[in-house]
Amino acid sequence: MSIDNIKKEFPIFNNKVHNNDLVYLDSANSSQKPQSVIDRVNDFYSKEFSNVGRSVHYLAVAATNLYETTRSSVQKYINAKDKNEIVFTKGATEAINLIANTFGQKYLKEGDEILITELEHHSNYVPWHFLRKSKGIKIEFAEVNSDGEVTIENIEKKITSKTKLIGITHLSNVTGAILPIKEITELAHSKGITVLVDGCQGAPHLKLDMQDLDCDFYAISCHKMYGPTGLGILYAKKKWLEELPPYQGGGGMIKEVKKDSISYGDLPNKYEAGTMATAQVIAFDKSIKFLEKIGMENIINHEQELIEYGQEILRKNNSVKLIGNPKNKGAVLSFTIEGVHPHDIATILDEDGVAIRAGHHCCQILHDKLGITASARASLGVYNTKNDLDQLNSSINNCKKIFNL
Amino acid sequence: MNIKELYQEIILEHGKNPRNLRKTDNFNKEAKGNNPLCGDNVHVYLKLNGEKKIEDISFEGSGCAISMASASIMTDLLKGKEELEVKEIVNDFLGMIKENPELESKKLKKDEKTKLMCLSGVKQYPMRVKCATLSWHTLISAIDNTQEEINTEKLD
Ligand SMILES: Cc1ncc(COP(=O)(O)O)c(C=O)c1O
Repeated sequence: MSIDNIKKEFPIFNNKVHNNDLVYLDSANSSQKPQSVIDRVNDFYSKEFSNVGRSVHYLAVAATNLYETTRSSVQKYINAKDKNEIVFTKGATEAINLIANTFGQKYLKEGDEILITELEHHSNYVPWHFLRKSKGIKIEFAEVNSDGEVTIENIEKKITSKTKLIGITHLSNVTGAILPIKEITELAHSKGITVLVDGCQGAPHLKLDMQDLDCDFYAISCHKMYGPTGLGILYAKKKWLEELPPYQGGGGMIKEVKKDSISYGDLPNKYEAGTMATAQVIAFDKSIKFLEKIGMENIINHEQELIEYGQEILRKNNSVKLIGNPKNKGAVLSFTIEGVHPHDIATILDEDGVAIRAGHHCCQILHDKLGITASARASLGVYNTKNDLDQLNSSINNCKKIFNL
Repeated sequence: MNIKELYQEIILEHGKNPRNLRKTDNFNKEAKGNNPLCGDNVHVYLKLNGEKKIEDISFEGSGCAISMASASIMTDLLKGKEELEVKEIVNDFLGMIKENPELESKKLKKDEKTKLMCLSGVKQYPMRVKCATLSWHTLISAIDNTQEEINTEKLD
């Protein structure tokens, strides 16, 4: 498939925004959906719907098979060792909460330390904060450097004998820095520390290989991977899923329920209580097919070319200041314009059909460190082109004109 | 709606050089407000004299052009007015931003109305209404001494 034709697979681009072509630069927030994924949701509800795993009738069996097919596709896509290492959740947020909750319950006590970084999204900080409140654990932050990266040295500096888990983003949703997860995991494991990776931004833009990365947990957000909303994935090494207690209780996650005792189901059911996002899981298989059809290598090349082009034109635009200058950078261009608040930038760009995000992007710790309350962020997806970035640049110029810069 | 109607010169000018961006000496009322979606924040200070007249009003904080201009115009316009008048004007302003086509309060002179109507462009931008109203809600909280931080996500 030619990368130039990919936009055609996304029906959203047939619509105009304020009479302009849509230039969608908010994929780090959530990506658009290809027709195949949209159709799959519709087809499943129209022709094949049933709840999974509970009834013996024809539709229920078929739906269960489809649901499990996605699990297998995900396993292959991220090269997990075992299909049962894939747990469906409502989002990456729930995946991280699941681990904070169960790991915290079983293994953490007062004075233990969780090491995260100043780059983390609130969803990889707040769940640990709950444990700080309830159990008296400590949270340490590995420092971000002036390029917007967290180096392995800065992580090592904050490791102590009390560090029990390192929670770290794969790709920063603000600076775009790609962190050396494999090396960090090696270091952590050599000291007996468990590693959780927030893979929300890694998964749509990088080649994933769980056995190579060797992290203990990896959280994925399907809606950022050209998939449906309401769905996330927790990858966890099997030994953890066997050892950790269940997260939510209810139907589907049990083996036997008596008045005085309850036993829990086998993997993966143990962590999938209640009716799951069935249609979304089934449609997500099409997202993986979509990504596989283009090929991660092609995606990476395309997006790298765009990110370099984007940095080049924005650097030339005086009054634009890019946030971070990481050596390994993916898919995200955050910036400020001297004299224009990010919210004003976003409103003015929107008038031209250019969709970006303004704010702290759920990274207040990082923005505090940068000494700003907000930034503007243009983030890329596979459908973006150099034209989109040219349009971004010319809308930025329009914005400067309105503000008499 | 043209974007230039939102970003009129007077808004840009107030946004760039906000009036009363400081802390009132010997203030006797204050309140903080924030807009968690944007990370914008404002702190309003008031000095009411014995006759409940605003002797001084000021604010500190940071935010977009709309929120800074709104706070600037608000403080500029309300200095010297009486507490009851102020409440009526605030309600009139909030009503205009929300739904009313015009300002109705008799307490506002014609040129004051013209000034406030410069902010009416935000009506067309629902995501930005909170930027324009934050300082006004915070002012009411200061007058009422609610001691409660205004959070735009909890207002309707
Ligand atoms: C780095 C990062 N972590 C976590 C999340 C939360 O993901 P989800 O929306 O799937 O809960 C996001 C998305 O906003 C993100 O960008």
